[in-house]
Amino acid sequence: MEDLPASRAVAGTALAALALGAGVLPFWASDYVLDVAITILTYGILGLGLNIVVGYAGLLDLGYAAFFAIGAYTTALLETHVHLGFWETLPPALALAALSGVVIGYPTLRLRSDYLAIVTLGFGEIVRIIATNLDITGGPNGIYGINPPVLFGVELSSPAQLYGLAWAFLVVVLLFTRRLATSRLGRAWLSIREDETAAEAIGVPTLRVKLLAYVMGALVGGFGGSLFAGRFGAIDPTGFTYLQSINVLIVVVLGGMGSTPGVLLGAVIVAGLPEALRFLELWREFGFAIGLIVLMLVRPQGLWPAPASRRVVLPEGDAGNLVFPGAGAARGEPLLAVASLTHEFGGVRAVSEVSLEVRRGEILSIIGPNGAGKTTVFNCLTGVIRPRAGDLRFRGRPIAGLPPHRVVALGLSRTFQGIRLFPNMPAYENVLVGMDPHHRVSLPGEIFRLPGTRRDASEHLALCRSLLRFVDLEGAAGQRAGDLSYGDQRRLEIARALGARPEILLLDEPAAGMNPTEKGELMALIRRIRDLGVTVVLIEHDMMLVMQVSDRVLVMDHGALISEGRPEEIQRDPRVIDAYLGIEEGEEAGAEPEEAALWRS
Amino acid sequence: MQAFFQYTVEGLTIGAFYALVALGYTMVYGIIRLINFAHGDVFMVGAFIGWSVLVTLLGMHWAMAAAFLVALALALAGCGALGVVIDRVAYQPLLAAPRLSILITALGVSLALENGVLLLYGPGFLTYPHLISTAGFDIGGVEISWAQTAMFVISVVLMFALYLVVHRTYVGTAMRALAVDQDAARLMGIDVERIIQLTFFIGSVLAAAAGVMEGVYYTQISFFMGFLVGLRAFTAAVLGGIGNIPGAMAGGLLIGLLEAYSAGYLSSRWTDVFVFLVLIGVLVVKPTGLFGERVVERM
Repeated sequence: MEDLPASRAVAGTALAALALGAGVLPFWASDYVLDVAITILTYGILGLGLNIVVGYAGLLDLGYAAFFAIGAYTTALLETHVHLGFWETLPPALALAALSGVVIGYPTLRLRSDYLAIVTLGFGEIVRIIATNLDITGGPNGIYGINPPVLFGVELSSPAQLYGLAWAFLVVVLLFTRRLATSRLGRAWLSIREDETAAEAIGVPTLRVKLLAYVMGALVGGFGGSLFAGRFGAIDPTGFTYLQSINVLIVVVLGGMGSTPGVLLGAVIVAGLPEALRFLELWREFGFAIGLIVLMLVRPQGLWPAPASRRVVLPEGDAGNLVFPGAGAARGEPLLAVASLTHEFGGVRAVSEVSLEVRRGEILSIIGPNGAGKTTVFNCLTGVIRPRAGDLRFRGRPIAGLPPHRVVALGLSRTFQGIRLFPNMPAYENVLVGMDPHHRVSLPGEIFRLPGTRRDASEHLALCRSLLRFVDLEGAAGQRAGDLSYGDQRRLEIARALGARPEILLLDEPAAGMNPTEKGELMALIRRIRDLGVTVVLIEHDMMLVMQVSDRVLVMDHGALISEGRPEEIQRDPRVIDAYLGIEEGEEAGAEPEEAALWRS
Repeated sequence: MQAFFQYTVEGLTIGAFYALVALGYTMVYGIIRLINFAHGDVFMVGAFIGWSVLVTLLGMHWAMAAAFLVALALALAGCGALGVVIDRVAYQPLLAAPRLSILITALGVSLALENGVLLLYGPGFLTYPHLISTAGFDIGGVEISWAQTAMFVISVVLMFALYLVVHRTYVGTAMRALAVDQDAARLMGIDVERIIQLTFFIGSVLAAAAGVMEGVYYTQISFFMGFLVGLRAFTAAVLGGIGNIPGAMAGGLLIGLLEAYSAGYLSSRWTDVFVFLVLIGVLVVKPTGLFGERVVERM
């Protein structure tokens, strides 16, 4: 999980050098330089906070200054009106910022990502206009006379002291965001950034995860706002404009979305470049704008992008840690019962009155011509589609209408017809996201690195390793998932679905695009999955694979179930032959002789 | 009730400007999924080109109508060219890059245009030559000036022309194809880059028209005027359902009305709060905007 020792040593040396440089700065630098440095640090804090929303979760936020304003105004108001000390104002400031994260997050959850731009922008403007127009916030003049923070009886008011305070704040935020990034929640954010639909379908509670992105981002923004109020002793609405939000967004995107060093570099540029361009005088802002365009054109990924693959060493776990809930249970017990399932798309009946049963321990195939409604059945079973009618019960419990991640948690996980991995995440993290429904670790446990949590996390990593080994991808653990070969991606998707430790695994055309050797391996893999105690349901067009691997086969045509039985019974069923080939058996010469031959095998 | 109708007239006039600018946002968004933050500033540049030409020509004792038409034509041509250049330099190279990087160059272009105009014309307000009279007519006590009528009619004619281009010409069909699936459009032989340029050209021309008309109507322009109008127009585009051309027109008029009513009945200080609350309310009830069902979601 951690980087290898060599690269850590290099990073450690660089960090130590930077820390030394930053540490001695107050002893030789002028107040002006320190002031710029504090501004850089503040942008660093805000950038790291917005990076949670934009970089990790992939949600656009153009009103981030609102959280900054809420933190600053809360501290200012509580200090001047209630006479609390700076430190006492922090908890309420953070709480209020987090609450406003919920307020802005909640209505936007259902929106398409592009609409977030204007809604968040609107939220930012609303907060600023309210601050400008209310009497209690001092209107356009703002609030002044905010006392500087007092630490051990010392008022922190000189530039050097404030510089130290800003560093302390940045370090807290750095630790917080780094630990968030490597937490279960952090991986869930990346997964929704990569493919929200797939994330939900493999068990990530996407709505809650998105809301938490806003809340965590808001917390950091509020934290930065309190620092801002304490630093200047006076605040007014001009510090929290739309342009401020834009500047923070530039910090994140220019530096490299999702990348901590990138964001810090972005802060140095956004706060430092205008100072460095002072010699341009009137042309300074113009020069900054041109510089911004040129930098983006030269480095569209950002100046220091986050790596999508990394070298990892996953801990070795117990040999027997690959345990599934269905292991050892008696075969044949009905697990999933579907009665009269019906669904329509715009008046077209895709699935009509389908009833079926899945029994524990079997390999069940659903076959049928294209457009027969097979994938729609999968989508109804996994909650991706809410069916128009019909009763779906998993172990006696109704599951129709449950959101996909709830269905996964109950024990039904799936793969997709077209591969839907999280391409910009390493392979092992794809599997870890798949394991989300059974993660025990708590967020505070991960943030504070509690011993129990570390032990659990280590067990999860060991299980992840076992899953990768199970699909023969152990050596590719750290590789970017999108860089894997096609067959590897298919198997990684299966490992990811197995991560939820399902009772039933639904595979949607797993053999599509595979060569005969790969198909042979896939067949063996499906049997091994069944031997782990996982019931397998697959949709497949490859008849050789279906006939060899299945215990039972269901045939669909035009949305209805037309036949059901053991493979050899299906092959003899005239209704199936008619639906599938459209001609009498024995006359199928010509069109697809190879498949016809396989069919008869 | 008379006040209500007076506000309505005001709102429709401002709304027509917003609609013209909103069309540029919605067209560009429709084909390359970019929120073109520089668009409001193209509107501003249009107003400044118009001002420069008008002042020069009137200084040469041209007739008012002739000077206005030449100023309008040059503003349209200048902004059209500007739109194409912006697209070529700042957007085309990034079409395949992560979507936020192109958003940042758009912000960079916006800043560059604002500061460029600031350098050329200075930070203060400029006053447009007085071209229009306040004369008009009166319906049941509601005063409507000829200028308002003319602005509204010109806007509606431009919007109707755009609608015809998009729905009745080959180029419009290509634009709509691009909006649905760029790769498929390319494979069908459509010159994607040229169509994107053309979209920027048309959007910028409409914005310039709005810019000159706004200058003539309100008489004061500044380098910062693009921000507020851009924000309102963008809001209008989203309210109507971004990517949807009739939606942008309706959204623009609606935002104009909201602004006029809130300024009239409440206070102009709270206009933006009111507008954004309505927007958020609409999006919560109908997440794709008022006319958004025709937007194609890319999976």
